[in-house]
Amino acid sequence: MHDIRYDEVHDEFFVVNPFAEAVLAFRAESSGQESPVRIIQGPHVKIGGTRLAVDPVHNEIFVPDATRIRVYPRDANGDVAPIRIIEGPETQLARAESVAVDPVNNILVVGFNKVGDEPDGAIFMFNRTDNGNVKPRAVIRGPKSEIIRINQMAVYPPKKLIVAAMPGIEEMMEPPTAFLGVWTYDDNGEVPPKWKIPIGPKTTLKKPFGVVLNPKNKEVIISDMRLNAVLTFSVPEIF
Amino acid sequence: MINRRRKEIGLLTAVCAGLVLFLSHAGSEVSALVLQTSNGIRKPIAIERAPQRVIKDQYPSFSAVAVDADSNMLVVTDENLFQILEYDRRENTPPQARLSEPKRIISGPNTRAEMMCGAYIDPVTKEIYVVNNDTQNWLPVFSRDARGNVAPSRYLAAPHGTFGIAVNEESQQMFLTVQHQNSIVVYRKQASGDEKPLRTIQGSETQLEDPHGITLDLKNKLIYVSNFGNAQVLPPGSRGGRRAPEGYGKFDPPSITVYPLDASGNVKPLWTIEGPHTMMNWPSHIVLHEARQELFVANDADDSILVFRATDKGDVAPIRMIKGPNTGIKNPPGIALDVKNSEISVVSMGTHSVLIFPVTANGDVKPSRVVRGGPSNQVALNIGNPGAVGYDSKRDQILVPN
Repeated sequence: MHDIRYDEVHDEFFVVNPFAEAVLAFRAESSGQESPVRIIQGPHVKIGGTRLAVDPVHNEIFVPDATRIRVYPRDANGDVAPIRIIEGPETQLARAESVAVDPVNNILVVGFNKVGDEPDGAIFMFNRTDNGNVKPRAVIRGPKSEIIRINQMAVYPPKKLIVAAMPGIEEMMEPPTAFLGVWTYDDNGEVPPKWKIPIGPKTTLKKPFGVVLNPKNKEVIISDMRLNAVLTFSVPEIF
Repeated sequence: MINRRRKEIGLLTAVCAGLVLFLSHAGSEVSALVLQTSNGIRKPIAIERAPQRVIKDQYPSFSAVAVDADSNMLVVTDENLFQILEYDRRENTPPQARLSEPKRIISGPNTRAEMMCGAYIDPVTKEIYVVNNDTQNWLPVFSRDARGNVAPSRYLAAPHGTFGIAVNEESQQMFLTVQHQNSIVVYRKQASGDEKPLRTIQGSETQLEDPHGITLDLKNKLIYVSNFGNAQVLPPGSRGGRRAPEGYGKFDPPSITVYPLDASGNVKPLWTIEGPHTMMNWPSHIVLHEARQELFVANDADDSILVFRATDKGDVAPIRMIKGPNTGIKNPPGIALDVKNSEISVVSMGTHSVLIFPVTANGDVKPSRVVRGGPSNQVALNIGNPGAVGYDSKRDQILVPN
């Protein structure tokens, strides 16, 4: 599994099973081999990605699939077609790997992957309610952005922040270019991150894969693939 | 419905409160931003500090095992610290010992070995083959003397998501399962670099559904494959593949599918073992005992080892099962057969250990020997390739998918 999202409103968490092309919703207190409470799967679903974002306010699930973002009802169960799809040449979507949604400021953030000789990754911003062949409202990419590829992302609506795990070049086990980056919704173009938590001996990070925020304690929680560990950083300055 | 509505309103209220808080601090925040952008180019502020807390298992998560009885090699792969460890086959960690020290360790960025899930020992050269799964697309091979952060003697660019490995020493062919493509790929055993497979078994008819373990019956010319059951439904004749647009997902029961040794293309299995009586639950590595005509299955999610007759078909119960608190088996992805000494070696990922049983073991029996990579009372965290992280704000819990 390459993503997990907790929904505080409905006390559930969501994951994608990419091998069975399914979105699974579990009770938050699930334990052991408990079955999911809902499964979105079938010929009309077409889950092509491995990550997702959940909007508990507007009851929607977003799943990226390289060239498109599919949107499903949060409470969908069974063979349910997406209610919206963002796709088409105007969207510039390519290698869309991860998403994060802000239900307050109505922003959908999309992170791009990079494999081999593909172009470097990027952060795209859309309106939360976008549908069809729409232009992104902002794109962050280019050498100065330091973005190579993006795994999991989080957003912080009160300060309009995008927090992205950057594991660096995929083919390298310990890429020197990995870090955790923080941008704002106002960023557009070749913009460096506002803050970064770098890899290295001080942070002990090697390859950040996942990120989630705990605003109550002003903490950034990072999963690191190369360490097979979860590290919690106190970062009050970004909250 | 009313409760749900109340919860939604509650969240909106909380979010609005956050916005008010944000606006009250907006002045100082904007000033900071202006300072950073005064020369027109933002300079990132590096937050270089130690983490407050770290959740990490300091001991190996054993994932696959290979045994060479002639040279007394017991080779184990470790998905946590990314190591290949060689122990003496006869090793038995004393109960009071913290752990057994391996004879050698191969590990480091030069090895091209990371999230390893399969292992094989060449019976002649004693070279070690390891299969990477989701993080590196290499199959590196190491010499008998390799140790430390060494480059492999050779490596093959393997498909993304390979899991199982079996070798036909007669034909010098290497068989790999590929989770992400629902396929079996067959290479020359000595293949390296970007060499292409000799043949592939893949497609709508194969019933390959998230394939993991693979073993060969050279006497009866058969391939056995274990499948988790994460299926891709494809139109007839489709070759499928990762994210095939013509397919869609489905959950099927776990299974073992059987093919002719020389199968190629979109072929149907000769027969399958599948159904509730089989008790399969994440059947991972499998191994066939040719002389006994028995199939051993590392049944990961059931904390058990299942034994079937090689000719079993359909919804059959295993003829033997090793399971229970005395066995020490917890999440066993790997298994290896030692025909010479009539033993099986079982990787117990949940207890940092390798457990050795007689091939005839049955029920809740203690292992003959235990090789521990960590203290016996230490809980294995089983964090492997944590591609994401979640936070349950209600329970103040961190959720880690693997």
